[in-house]
Amino acid sequence: MIIRKVKIENYKCFKEFSIELDEGINILVGDNESGKSTILEAIHLALTGLLNGRYLKNELTQYLFNNEVVTDYVKSLKDKDGAPKGPPQILIEVFMSGDNLAEFEGDNNSRKAPDCGVWLKIAFKEDYKSEYEELVKNGNVETIPIEYYEPVWESFARDQITPRTIPIKSAFIDSSSHRYLNGSDVYISRIIRENLEPKEVVDISQAYRRMKEAFMAEEAIQTINKRIKSSAKISEKDVKLSVDLSSRNAWETSLMTYLDGIPFHHIGKGEQCIVKTQLALGHKKAKEANLILLEEPENHLSHSKLNQLISTIKANCEDKQILVSTHSSFVANKLGLGSLILLNEGGTVRLKELSPETKSFFERLSGYDTLRLILCKKAILVEGDSDELVVQKAYMTQNQNKLPIEDRIDVISVGTSFLRFLEIAEKLNKTVSVVTDNDGNVAALKKKYENYLNDKSKCNIAICFDETEDSGDLEIGGKKFNYNTLEPKLLKVNGLKAMTAILGTDHTGVDELHRYMKSNKTECALKVFDATRKVVYPQYILDAIE
Amino acid sequence: MNNNRLIVAAAGSGKTTFLVNEALRWKEGRILLTTFTQANEAEIIKKIIEINKCIPENITVQTWFSLLLKHGVRPYQGALFEKGIKGLVLTSGQSGVKYYSKDNPVYFGEKKDFEKHYFTDNLKIYSDKLPKFVCRCNEKTKGEVIDRLSRIYSHIFIDEVQDLSGYDLEFLKLLFKCKIVTLLVGDPRQGTYSTSNTSKNKRFSKSRIVHFFEDTSIDIEADSDSLTINHRCVPEICTLSNRLFPGFKKATSDNNERTGHDGVFLVKSGVVAEYLETYSPMQLRDSIKTVTNKNHRTMNFGESKGLVFDRVLIYPTRPFINWLIDNKSDLAQTSRSKFYVAITRARYSVGIIYDYGNHTDILGTVTFK
Repeated sequence: MIIRKVKIENYKCFKEFSIELDEGINILVGDNESGKSTILEAIHLALTGLLNGRYLKNELTQYLFNNEVVTDYVKSLKDKDGAPKGPPQILIEVFMSGDNLAEFEGDNNSRKAPDCGVWLKIAFKEDYKSEYEELVKNGNVETIPIEYYEPVWESFARDQITPRTIPIKSAFIDSSSHRYLNGSDVYISRIIRENLEPKEVVDISQAYRRMKEAFMAEEAIQTINKRIKSSAKISEKDVKLSVDLSSRNAWETSLMTYLDGIPFHHIGKGEQCIVKTQLALGHKKAKEANLILLEEPENHLSHSKLNQLISTIKANCEDKQILVSTHSSFVANKLGLGSLILLNEGGTVRLKELSPETKSFFERLSGYDTLRLILCKKAILVEGDSDELVVQKAYMTQNQNKLPIEDRIDVISVGTSFLRFLEIAEKLNKTVSVVTDNDGNVAALKKKYENYLNDKSKCNIAICFDETEDSGDLEIGGKKFNYNTLEPKLLKVNGLKAMTAILGTDHTGVDELHRYMKSNKTECALKVFDATRKVVYPQYILDAIE
Repeated sequence: MNNNRLIVAAAGSGKTTFLVNEALRWKEGRILLTTFTQANEAEIIKKIIEINKCIPENITVQTWFSLLLKHGVRPYQGALFEKGIKGLVLTSGQSGVKYYSKDNPVYFGEKKDFEKHYFTDNLKIYSDKLPKFVCRCNEKTKGEVIDRLSRIYSHIFIDEVQDLSGYDLEFLKLLFKCKIVTLLVGDPRQGTYSTSNTSKNKRFSKSRIVHFFEDTSIDIEADSDSLTINHRCVPEICTLSNRLFPGFKKATSDNNERTGHDGVFLVKSGVVAEYLETYSPMQLRDSIKTVTNKNHRTMNFGESKGLVFDRVLIYPTRPFINWLIDNKSDLAQTSRSKFYVAITRARYSVGIIYDYGNHTDILGTVTFK
């Protein structure tokens, strides 16, 4: 039993969003504020009815709604000639597949076609029509009339259900801890309870009840009650001390989880995370499936603990569906880049949708650079370290000495793999500039980037290179010197005198300096980077920075 | 083996108990127990609890209409009708009247006025159109409705199957063709209600429903022998009930308990009060129009279905008296069923109010005083 797809409408930062999930591990990668946590939260909410560990019914606020939608709605009612809109609603639709789910099949879904699943709608309740009418007539709608809203769960078979009936249970493991009144952690109690078979749950609650009754039967308590009864002349009625036998799930809120004799919420956050995950992984029930929602495990785990957690997940994730949000390349890499879902501007891209070659290329790669491209606002792709330094410096010169990364522009050296990165950039619709040498063959270069130039040019991708093919007589080691790389171009625009001054050398001939720069690329680039004198940059680098 | 079984049972032969025991035998799979009336649904639940203390997880008890609504209409409703259906309205007689032409009703057609044909103005589906809607939905979705149901329930057991008619039977036919194991129990003699009055399958309504299953295209195994022992009524009552339906297999009584007032009694109207005082029978009448003794409990024949009393006192109609005197005289099918139900409610004694005069020798009866 798995969740195949989740559709979210008007919930927090998502006006309309849908994400497809695979069996096993799914890794959600995205920048801060991209909505990773919101996705986990929404799924958990739809499956359990819990928001921050409390029941949604008591937690309804206008802030759950997408801000833009609320503004549009309020504005539409205020506008004299605008078309007024009805009160907006939140929809979280969960598409499932697996055995024994026939009951959840039907066409009551946004696709209007036979499918299997459930949805949660937080919508205006028809019972309040007249109150709402009054409100609208008076023109007093400043925000969503949340007091007239209620959450409703329905299966795709139009059957009103409660989250309890949903056979997929979710365990939400995050850094925050939500506690019951007695301090015990909401989620750990839930995870433990969901591991229990019905018989065991009954046994616990019975044992708990017996314990309370035994307490009441204690002689000391009875004596005290007799005394209270005789002395309390508050009313005609019988006054006595008793334990609370009324609440339904008393044992859950009263029992505490201990780890090596220490209350669960007193142990370290990292350890809590590991224990919760392991418990959730241990969930084995025939008729139910378990979805583990793991929020940024790297946040409170040391490297070795994180390693331990990931190994545990990898070893036990069989038959489990896991959704991990992260911005740690380590996590992404370890759990397998194939399961990576990139979250970008309200959409998702899966690494597995990339061409097989590109995918396997990135899988072999450290993973670090992929995430950099995903997480930055703009990227400048360069060939090597020296290009990186020079481009950074050029950027700083143009932008009041600010490093590009401070503006969330990442300069990434990609070696010869420009096209692979461009494939991802295209999928992500990410603004990217490529800074490349023409290597004395502009035509070949244009051929290489033909998919990004002229009539095929993409507005988010700029290919920057020098259109001039320079040449000269210099040969090094019997080979013709390449006049069309960064260093000779730098020398060309700065001139011999200025260049030696920047590099702090005393070369008197151009060829001599070419030789020196070629064999000391990084050294030269560092000198440029640290230069206090004015450096002139080739136009194509300036183009890339633009 | 045949997946579908029909058991024709006599009144008091323990239909419901039989069905419940059959259902409780299955520990694997999911079983749906359904029946037409809410009273009988409650009876089934009560029986399950009597035998098993609680309703097992794999057994669901649901009325026929609620089954049709939940699994027939709602899942694939979108294929036929977009608006939200607000529930069900019980109708007697054909629903969806457009207007009257010289006191004769003209109905909304399905094709032209789809919504008005099936629904009230506030979008409740007419009970007589409910099974029709389900069949249409199944057609439109190329069998999704039945396919889905067959993946939810492994067994569907239907009690009081004689209450079904019209499109209900079309829906039954669909069930027979799928992999669900069905067990139908009913007493065609007790067909006082039917779920609808549509023209579809009219010839199979009421006691003739048994013939529906003789249709060779329907794959069902009919059994008229298993449930013929009447555990409830004393032999005198059982015999009288057999005479109402001579075409059926005779039920035999195994209630040999004697209370001192056992059998069928003719009671003169003048001594009704005294009779009521002495034996406290349940008064049974054809309809609310019949005036009964206010100091004692009264029920309509239809209402009493599925219930059991030690003694009953019947306010008969004229045709019934005529039949009592001469079994060959005409008695309409519905009336026949109603009297069959009324008589077979009693364990020990049936009183029939009749100023018999000299007619003291009516077959199977004894006069009171």
